Amino acid sequence: MEGRGDMSIVSLISEERVKVPLESTTKREVIKELIDILLASGDITEAELAFMDVMEREAKGSTGLEFGVAIPHAKTSTVKTLTMAIGIARNGIDFDSIDGRPARLFFLLLAPPDQSGPHIEALSEIARLMQSESFIRELLDAPDSAAVVRLFREE
Amino acid sequence: MSSPIKRLMVYIDGTLQSITAAHYAVTLARALDAEMYAIYVINTRALNDLLKSHIFIREEEEEYERDLEEDANRYLRHVTKLAEQKGVAVETIKTSGTVSVEIKKSIREYDIDLLILGELSPIRSRREAMLDESERAMRIAPCSVLIVKDEEKVMDIYDNLI
Repeated sequence: MEGRGDMSIVSLISEERVKVPLESTTKREVIKELIDILLASGDITEAELAFMDVMEREAKGSTGLEFGVAIPHAKTSTVKTLTMAIGIARNGIDFDSIDGRPARLFFLLLAPPDQSGPHIEALSEIARLMQSESFIRELLDAPDSAAVVRLFREE
Repeated sequence: MSSPIKRLMVYIDGTLQSITAAHYAVTLARALDAEMYAIYVINTRALNDLLKSHIFIREEEEEYERDLEEDANRYLRHVTKLAEQKGVAVETIKTSGTVSVEIKKSIREYDIDLLILGELSPIRSRREAMLDESERAMRIAPCSVLIVKDEEKVMDIYDNLI
């Protein structure tokens, strides 16, 4: 039996998994665009299955939070390990957020069904980060994916 | 002179580092003739935080708690097996709450002399240093703490234990 490896947010981020700006204008498009990032990086092979799993979770309750942040996530058999994509939209996108405001900063997390521990740790880390309005502002102002990665490493 | 370490406890969180620490704990328990304990903390604090921040819905929180419960059972069974293979008895502790707080509580409850932790993750940001549960446990533990490093060497020692 092997233990799992490092699953901190910084270990999950790379420039190829961050897109600034996103091109989407709707919730479905954003989720598809984020999944396509992970398809291009080779993290997933079945984009359609990942999309269905994320939408199934969204149907139970939106993951659109406050301050323009959304954290769509799902367990899906299309990934072998916890995987994350980040996207920033220049204009707000309606994500059925709890504060009713459009979302601009998106974290998509996909976890294999048997890796709930790392999934929870990563979501908790993002949740703590999103308590800082100044950090959110810095991310939203990031000009490109390299700047986003740098911000996470410096925080 | 009797051993200064009569009861040792290893913290298991499912990481490779914690499994290595478990191997080392077994070898130490054998060498020192100490009682061995293995603790797994189901991080319900994190689950509650995710529910409060609306990232999780109630159904999801319950589902993930069940998953963590299964993880705890699986990893503690594995440690028990590792110990049994070397003739060491281990008492497993499965608890839930805030990880570092629960570890501290169990150290007091079981009168533990030595807490054994896996190698700490490399710190790549100030934030990680604050969030790492093993690091918090190391800081607040009311007993001495041993950080296990060098997986290859530890596995050699464990494998060669007759």
